[in-house]
Amino acid sequence: MARACICASSVVRYGIEMVRMAMMRAFLMLGVSAPLSVSAQAGNPYEGDRTAMRLGSALYGTRCAECHGADAKGISGPDLTLLWADGTSDDHVFEVVRSGVSGSIMSSSSAPDRELWAIVAYLRGISTVSPFENDSGDASRGQELFSATCARCHRVDGDGGHLGPDLSRIAVIRSREMLVRSIRDPSASAAAGYRAVTVVTRDGRRIRGVTKGEDAFSLQVVDTRERLQGYLKVDLQEFTHEERSLMPEFGPERLSDAELDDVLRYLGTLRQAGAR
Amino acid sequence: MLLARFGLIAVLAAGVAVSPTHLMGQAGDDGVTYADLLQGLSDPASWLTFSGDYSGRRHSPLTQITPQNVHRLAPVWTFQTGTMTRGRGFETTPLVLDGVLYVTGSNNFAWALDARTGRRFWEYRRNLPDDLTYGASAPVNRGFGLLGDRLFMVTLDAHLVALDRKTGRVLWEIELADYHIGYSATMAPLVIDGKVIVGISGGEYATRGFVDAYDPETGERIWRFNTVPGPGEPGSETWPDDPEILARGGGGTWMTGSYDPELDLIYWGTGNPNPDYYGDDRPGDNLYTNSIVALEAQTGRLRWHYQFTPHDVHDWDSNHVPVLADIVFDGEPRNVVMVANRNGFFYVLDRTTGELLLGKPFTETTWAREIGSDGRPIVLNDGSKGCLPDPWGSTNFMPPSFNPELGLFFVTARETCATFAPQEPEFVTGRSTFGGVVWIDRDHWYSALRAIDVQTGERMWEFRYPSATMAGVLTTASGLVFGGDHEGNFIAFEASGGENLWHYQTGSRIWGAAAMTHMIDGRQHVLIPSGTTLVAFALPENRP
Repeated sequence: MARACICASSVVRYGIEMVRMAMMRAFLMLGVSAPLSVSAQAGNPYEGDRTAMRLGSALYGTRCAECHGADAKGISGPDLTLLWADGTSDDHVFEVVRSGVSGSIMSSSSAPDRELWAIVAYLRGISTVSPFENDSGDASRGQELFSATCARCHRVDGDGGHLGPDLSRIAVIRSREMLVRSIRDPSASAAAGYRAVTVVTRDGRRIRGVTKGEDAFSLQVVDTRERLQGYLKVDLQEFTHEERSLMPEFGPERLSDAELDDVLRYLGTLRQAGAR
Repeated sequence: MLLARFGLIAVLAAGVAVSPTHLMGQAGDDGVTYADLLQGLSDPASWLTFSGDYSGRRHSPLTQITPQNVHRLAPVWTFQTGTMTRGRGFETTPLVLDGVLYVTGSNNFAWALDARTGRRFWEYRRNLPDDLTYGASAPVNRGFGLLGDRLFMVTLDAHLVALDRKTGRVLWEIELADYHIGYSATMAPLVIDGKVIVGISGGEYATRGFVDAYDPETGERIWRFNTVPGPGEPGSETWPDDPEILARGGGGTWMTGSYDPELDLIYWGTGNPNPDYYGDDRPGDNLYTNSIVALEAQTGRLRWHYQFTPHDVHDWDSNHVPVLADIVFDGEPRNVVMVANRNGFFYVLDRTTGELLLGKPFTETTWAREIGSDGRPIVLNDGSKGCLPDPWGSTNFMPPSFNPELGLFFVTARETCATFAPQEPEFVTGRSTFGGVVWIDRDHWYSALRAIDVQTGERMWEFRYPSATMAGVLTTASGLVFGGDHEGNFIAFEASGGENLWHYQTGSRIWGAAAMTHMIDGRQHVLIPSGTTLVAFALPENRP
């Protein structure tokens, strides 16, 4: 009989989430006395408006997150944090939310304009990264470090592994701070599709990988050898969703601050996919 | 012998006295009579109304597919609708009569299909306006009603349409309400003697709900019950003395009700008050929102009501299929109506009087742990402590099922955690007015098929799904339960203990729909809508 683990980390996250929610709620309640108002106009009237962005985050969570993910990085629907990096405009995103996407499951919305603009402001807020500039560090040394340490799992311009996210234009879509966090503490923010799992087969083989899909009866896994493999839960001794990311933590003892600077300098050059 | 047994079970199950000449189910080329509808599922070849019969149980007397052989169940055919359901699911329940399936689809498509092959006789497609309001964001339909040679379907632009079942041609159509305001219609009409009963969608807009009865011949309206009273009418004391607020009080009626022919009462669930989350401008219980109403079938007059969630601010509509049964409860024979509610409680009510017999949580909700002696919930967490069932609720409109032999009620239970932040909405015609926002904790978001003992409300077993599923349930007299999940699996269980016996990956989430079953050419078929397909399953033909 397969056994699923209930990760302790979800309990911790849950507690934090509740605190965050309570704070958000209090914040919004303040907003009631000064409700957001907007009229139809070109451009997003809420651009950079933090109150609206918080409202937008809640609306997003209720109406969009099921398909696009709680972090907007995509599940069955596309990664929305890449829209602005692809050169879209707030107006265009607004129109897509208003009209839906023809031929897809995404429906139109008849919510008030201000709610849609708030969602757009929220998405843009989590998508827009400050210009990735890393003055210190040596990009060529960083590239060597990357090739030796990261490329087994991460792909850049067609080279490298598939176990982690493709980093070909990471400098456009993630801030330096986000990358530092991802390198020093990768388990804190593993994206959907890159969460670690260990399965133990009937014959005792222990296989680690990342979960690409799961239902009540099966798991879709890419294992550490990059083999795409589906498993029927009934055929497994057990499976465990790991709290830790497959990516090792690169603390200062493993990657010095200077080396981190080198890697970041290199990553800062990665701005365009499909160079090859 | 077998047929007679089917008939007997169905008659006992429905608690309806009919003459033996009706047991075989004579519905055929002359169309469906009220007598046929009264027989419910006694004719193994028919499924004539949304839940199979008036009781709302979705419990079939068919026994060819059993816990022992269900592992051999296999697809027989797949029908591709060719129409996408944006934002929602393929939520219909097909009707079947004389070897022909009558199926409604999303975007107000509809078809007559050969039940043997899934091949099409005709297709109907409504020419919808391009400025739909609620109908654009939930372009679904849950099924036909059927009487004589007429099929009845409600539409996303809030009309009721009668189609000729042989051609799909429109016989008449009438407007239920103005869709520009936010009205839409999605439910499967309930057909009783000389009346087509329909409800309305749009409680997220400045609308006022109603249940209507129409003449099947002409489309003329016979009566209307408004779920929010007018000024000075009974129930208006639970609202502010403000006609404008009453006129947009919500209370949608967007799921099919059930019917007790002996009491001549219709049981109907009502939806949330409007705005959904913002209740400051509507102090009071806000009758008859989030209630079940028992209406006299001839007049639409209210006989009794029970409000599950007074003054709702969480969008916990009570638009569930009311499940009628005649059971011995606390040692006494009782005619009851049962509801597993979006607020997390399972209720048993006396359906003659509305008396509450049982109210027990079936999910881990912190909203309330008990119902007081006055029939009102003892609310422990009004939302200020966070983590309430999300706006989709502890269950939703996906049909539950009741197996009278086992005394078990089967429901898809959702375990979710949401924090609500109300905000006064702007009222703009044709724009939704939720009145605030909700944070849903996606780390705490799963569901389970649960079997509830209707005597105690206790959970007898559960099967967990990895996410918060919206699939409905069908049971059969052979001791099977058919459910489904958000990941696309159509699943069979043994009813008494919950053992998972079979599943089939349909390729798209099963969302809002429940299976139906019927016999054709000696083979029991089970049908489930999913994504853009309707799939029929049966045992292999060379069965022993």
